[in-house]
Amino acid sequence: MFDILVIRGIIAMFLIAIVAATIGSFSVFRGSTFFVSGIAHGALAGAALGIFISLSFFPADPLIVAIIFSVFVALAIGYASYKKEDVDIAIGVMFAFSMSIAVLFLSMIREYASVAWGLIIGDVLLLSEEDINILLISVITLLIVFIIFYRKMLYVIFDPESAEANGVHVLLYESLLYVLIAVGVVALLKCVGAILVYALLVVPAAASRRIFQGMATTIAGAFIISLVSGLGGIWLSMYLNVAPSSLAGLIAASIYAVTLTKK
Amino acid sequence: MNSIELKNLTVRYREGIAIENINLEIQHPSFVTIMGPNGAGKTTLLKAIMGMVPYEGEIKIMGKNPKEGKRVIGYLPQRERINTNVPVTVKDVVLMPLVSNVRGVKKEHVKKAKEVLKMVNMIDYWNRRFDALSGGQQQRVLFARTLVTDPDILILDEPFSATDVKTKTSLIHLLHSFKNEKTILIVIHDINPLVECTDYVLLLKKKVLGFGMVKDVINEENMERLYGTRVPVIRTPETCYVVGGDRHV
Repeated sequence: MFDILVIRGIIAMFLIAIVAATIGSFSVFRGSTFFVSGIAHGALAGAALGIFISLSFFPADPLIVAIIFSVFVALAIGYASYKKEDVDIAIGVMFAFSMSIAVLFLSMIREYASVAWGLIIGDVLLLSEEDINILLISVITLLIVFIIFYRKMLYVIFDPESAEANGVHVLLYESLLYVLIAVGVVALLKCVGAILVYALLVVPAAASRRIFQGMATTIAGAFIISLVSGLGGIWLSMYLNVAPSSLAGLIAASIYAVTLTKK
Repeated sequence: MNSIELKNLTVRYREGIAIENINLEIQHPSFVTIMGPNGAGKTTLLKAIMGMVPYEGEIKIMGKNPKEGKRVIGYLPQRERINTNVPVTVKDVVLMPLVSNVRGVKKEHVKKAKEVLKMVNMIDYWNRRFDALSGGQQQRVLFARTLVTDPDILILDEPFSATDVKTKTSLIHLLHSFKNEKTILIVIHDINPLVECTDYVLLLKKKVLGFGMVKDVINEENMERLYGTRVPVIRTPETCYVVGGDRHV
């Protein structure tokens, strides 16, 4: 039978696939995939800040501070974008800001720095029951909010001017999307790590967009590609004895490469 | 009744004044063509009318402020600003102004969407991906979307950009058919295809340089004031054409 850690890994990959299909797809459609990477680094800064606060002032959960800091980074990028700043530049600035904060606090908490790094370098086969519970609650919350608001978010990322003319609050819905991406990224960090969050959120949606026609099928396609990549990574890791997340990233990238051959 | 009333309308950006002291009364229904050089404030004027940019002065849409009044407006922005990364179908695009967060899509919405797509001859593309369409087809779909809410006022920002003669002709015929029921504000660089349906021309260069009927406003003196260079105008007994544009489509 499967080891409990493998079962948790499989559950995590299902949940990651849900985030990839929804939040990941919308970040690809919005054309701000680098945003995912920026948020992941914001999480490192937040975790380091959380540990520093705990050591210096009062107890603070690094994960919670990481989520708050990432949401702040997300909203700052969203506001700059709304103010007609190039979104790539806004992400770059916040990326630099986050890394500066991260390095600053990591140098101040030297002996505990590994705790902060541990939050963004995850392993899907080392998840505790608590990790799975946090991931489950995060994903269910994200999914509910996404299902309620995705139509307006879609209108805003497709044609913000027309949406605004039709009375849709563009800043509100763009900010909501950015916050959802931020929470999704931080929730997944512990499972697959910062770099592979990028791979598993962005690549399945990018590949699915090249294969399928409509919105629903593209989202469903992103779910399947992400799931196949994740489960494939776990399965192969049992034989090859290497990290499952890296194999999942390679499978997803290979699927994307195959879709490039489609006319 | 006036569909649009502007009193001392001024819009300032960080870079400077975009439009200044615009006073205008547009009757309902009427067809108004807005002309001006690049940077004249044409798009800013349209956005101000819909309350999308901060402004000074007073704006009334069907007697209401822009926030309330813009519900009766159908707006077609410039197509270049659409994000074609989004894998939406023609159906999705046309339904966008109608769907709400909780209720989603209703049967009558679908019926209305099909109706407006028939008007622009795009009903056969119902389930086709928007980004796979040609520029002209995309423009027709976007035009259908402006009609889906049954607006009293249509605001169209360069609706014929990247359209071929066939698309342009069919869109002009469609606009002509709304002439007696809607107020139409259209920003366009070349007025010639629209001289027959235009009731009033607005010449805009940050300020209003002229507003009136085609034969009264389109003349060489006004064109030179507007564009800063000599632009020949051909006059016929009924109307006039600007040389350099499309004579007719």
